[in-house]
Amino acid sequence: MVSYIKSNKMKTKCIHKDLIFYLDNELSVEKKISVEKHLEECADCRSFLAFVRDEMQVIENEKNPEASPYFFTRLSARLDEKQVYQTQSQWAKLAQPAFFSLVLLAGIYGGLKLGSNASSPLVNQQTSSGVQMLNDFAAEPIESFLLDEL
Amino acid sequence: MDESGLTKGIQQGDRKAFQILVNSYQRMVVNTCLGIVHSQEDAEDLAQDVFLEIFRTAENFRGDAKISTWLYRIATNRSLNFVRNKKRKGFFQSLEETFTGTKNRTREISENRSDQPDHNITDQQRSDLLHRAIDRLPEKQRIAFTLNKYEELPYQQIAEVMEISLASVESLIHRAKKNLQEQLLDCYKKKCV
Repeated sequence: MVSYIKSNKMKTKCIHKDLIFYLDNELSVEKKISVEKHLEECADCRSFLAFVRDEMQVIENEKNPEASPYFFTRLSARLDEKQVYQTQSQWAKLAQPAFFSLVLLAGIYGGLKLGSNASSPLVNQQTSSGVQMLNDFAAEPIESFLLDEL
Repeated sequence: MDESGLTKGIQQGDRKAFQILVNSYQRMVVNTCLGIVHSQEDAEDLAQDVFLEIFRTAENFRGDAKISTWLYRIATNRSLNFVRNKKRKGFFQSLEETFTGTKNRTREISENRSDQPDHNITDQQRSDLLHRAIDRLPEKQRIAFTLNKYEELPYQQIAEVMEISLASVESLIHRAKKNLQEQLLDCYKKKCV
């Protein structure tokens, strides 16, 4: 048997590359006849043809899956969810700028209020005494301070 | 209800029209997605995304193409994006596994098929081999081949979906089959199934 296959291989060249087109009936009439003739003689090509046919059968087996009965129910729920989210996000789109504007206005108002308090005479007095305390070095220079340490 | 009535209804947000559309094209969309992603669950999720997109963008539909062409286009685009994202995730996951030495549990389960009967192993291996071969095809060849094989679409309609010429579709499908044949031959010689 092996020697028979070997001898066939010696006689004719394998036609693997044509077999997928042969299966799909895409060869010319002449080519188809020659392929069929070759297949009668070549066990290796017959075996490969069966292999390719089985592989292509996978597509036939898995295509047209059964329709899920809850497909539209699920889809409808997702659609409702999306619409609720869109309505919420539309509110959020309006509410967010309004909130930040309010915060900004409150900040400006607060700033103005603080500014007006700062300019009152009492505060000026307090500030100047504070500045004096901070400027102690003016009264006692660093050189004399260091000399005292020695 | 005819196609223009359906699209008008959906454009006005009519749920009844939308349900008719979904019932008419559900199988077609799931099947198209399945041809690219090779998983029933993922295909159904993607089909739902396709219909949601249709409902959301119905007002942009001008009606110069058939509804099915529009659906095929969205279904193939979404499926290809899904596969691309999955590949990217897989790459990062494998990187993580390399550095941490951990292995994903689901992958472990899918790799360990020793408890299944023999004929199932062969069927599973057979479909895995074909899916791998299809996944290795360049994207355009993959779309043309899938639409032709899974949906049995004529070349003319594939050309409309992909917005290319008829000759290009013929060439793409011819090259896809040639590539598949080469991959199958390689596997056949190595006796990988």
